[in-house]
Amino acid sequence: MLCQSCEKRQATTHIKTILNGELKEYNLCPECAQKMGYGSFFGNFGFDLDKLFGSFMESIDSPKTAKRCQCCGSSFEDIAKSGKVGCANCYEVFYEELLPSIQRIHGRTCHTGKLAHSAGTEVKIRNEITKCKYDLEQAVKAQEFEKAAELRDRIAELEKDYKKSTDNGKE
Amino acid sequence: MIVMPENKNQNLKDVSDVVISTRIRFARNLQEYPFPCKLSDEKKCRVANIVKEAVLDGHSAISSKFKYIQMSELTQEEAVSLVERHLVSPEFISERLGRGLLLLDDESVSIMINEEDHVRIQVIKPYMDLDGAYDLADKIDTLLDEQLNFAFNDKLGYLTQCPTNIGTGMRASLMLHLPALKESNSMGRISASLSKLGLVIRGLYGEGTEPIGAIYQLSNQVTLGISEHEAINNLRDIASQLITQERSAREMLTKNITVEDTVCRSFGILQFAKLMSNDECMQLLSNLRFGIEMGIIKNIDFDTVNHLMTEIQPATLMKNIGKKLTPQERDRIRAELVRTALLQKKVPSSHRLEN
Repeated sequence: MLCQSCEKRQATTHIKTILNGELKEYNLCPECAQKMGYGSFFGNFGFDLDKLFGSFMESIDSPKTAKRCQCCGSSFEDIAKSGKVGCANCYEVFYEELLPSIQRIHGRTCHTGKLAHSAGTEVKIRNEITKCKYDLEQAVKAQEFEKAAELRDRIAELEKDYKKSTDNGKE
Repeated sequence: MIVMPENKNQNLKDVSDVVISTRIRFARNLQEYPFPCKLSDEKKCRVANIVKEAVLDGHSAISSKFKYIQMSELTQEEAVSLVERHLVSPEFISERLGRGLLLLDDESVSIMINEEDHVRIQVIKPYMDLDGAYDLADKIDTLLDEQLNFAFNDKLGYLTQCPTNIGTGMRASLMLHLPALKESNSMGRISASLSKLGLVIRGLYGEGTEPIGAIYQLSNQVTLGISEHEAINNLRDIASQLITQERSAREMLTKNITVEDTVCRSFGILQFAKLMSNDECMQLLSNLRFGIEMGIIKNIDFDTVNHLMTEIQPATLMKNIGKKLTPQERDRIRAELVRTALLQKKVPSSHRLEN
């Protein structure tokens, strides 16, 4: 596909943006994308997902613009405009507002990877189960049945722990 | 099929005709401080000090191998050279106050402080080594997390300044040489279909840059709802498809006399030219690499070409010479550098492609 701006070079950058409530799509070559501010080598963070993200969020009318994060003082409007979240606490304060954009970017809204030191026990167990299940799959594929049996037992144990911890949580 | 462990190391170089290097990057933030966009220069310095101490005073064996670089103290050439060697992002040197860099002695690990996030751990390995690079990055991350308490949310994972990085905060990339696919104008089509798979392909120096010398960076885009291992496996699968496509595109070009002519002419210029601009040199080196990949050039190895591709970059050139140079002086020294490197390699040595 040729670049829609110069109509000469191959388009390699696909840009979707919402301007005044209207969805617009462009296919641009690197040169034109750069000229239009969607990427500069030594400028602000190259291919500007920030700006893209910002324009996505501007289309959402937030009735809660007055709400501010007590840690860094950001309002949701600040975040939407810059595409940058102010601090870790903002993710709690503006969770509902941020979620649609997060869903749009990643397609999913729940973390399944590595856990930090500070993660809750429940998540830690859940994560360990996922990891063991993955290892089990690999062990079966590699025909390491002894290892697979060990993993199966470990998963059963973890699932018991998980049930215990969720039951405790309810009490 | 069962892959025997002893074959694993050999396999690393099996795709060296396409894969130049592997990179894993983690984005992390300190729970107690606002993200860098909300920090004053003074607070940035405080964060930099905390991270620096956590790394240098750590009790692990790796701690003593790091050195700390205060970005504001570097000359422009030294800073740009870090970008050229892929140790930091272009963004990182655009504004240097309050930013610091921790570099491992062999330059395989760099930790950027106060880039877009407080901490960016990056591991680079030559050739294809996703597991090796991930394991090292993972270890460093775990060590630092114990001391620094990284911002984390049970639902959203690691929290980052830009929501495009939340979740694992991991970007895994492979640097690929794809001359045949570029030659056959397939890159546009490929890049369009990759975006549907949650991957992205970009130019040599990452986001927003153009591909120079047919070198591309392939990396994962999605970081939430997908585990590190899934993301890496996904990247590996797509990369191996790209490698197969590139190889079959090369196959089509083997009998092509104009390709052979371009390679040999490029080799000639590289061996004898007295002045060479950066762009010209990169293009010629890319052609030379292509010649090695195609088996046309037999007595030069990939290491030599990979090394040259970094060494001839303008800022790295000046940093190594130790003074500022005019563009023409640079072109002269660049040509000399390439000439010596390639003339020394004239005697045919044992060669991978002949195996």
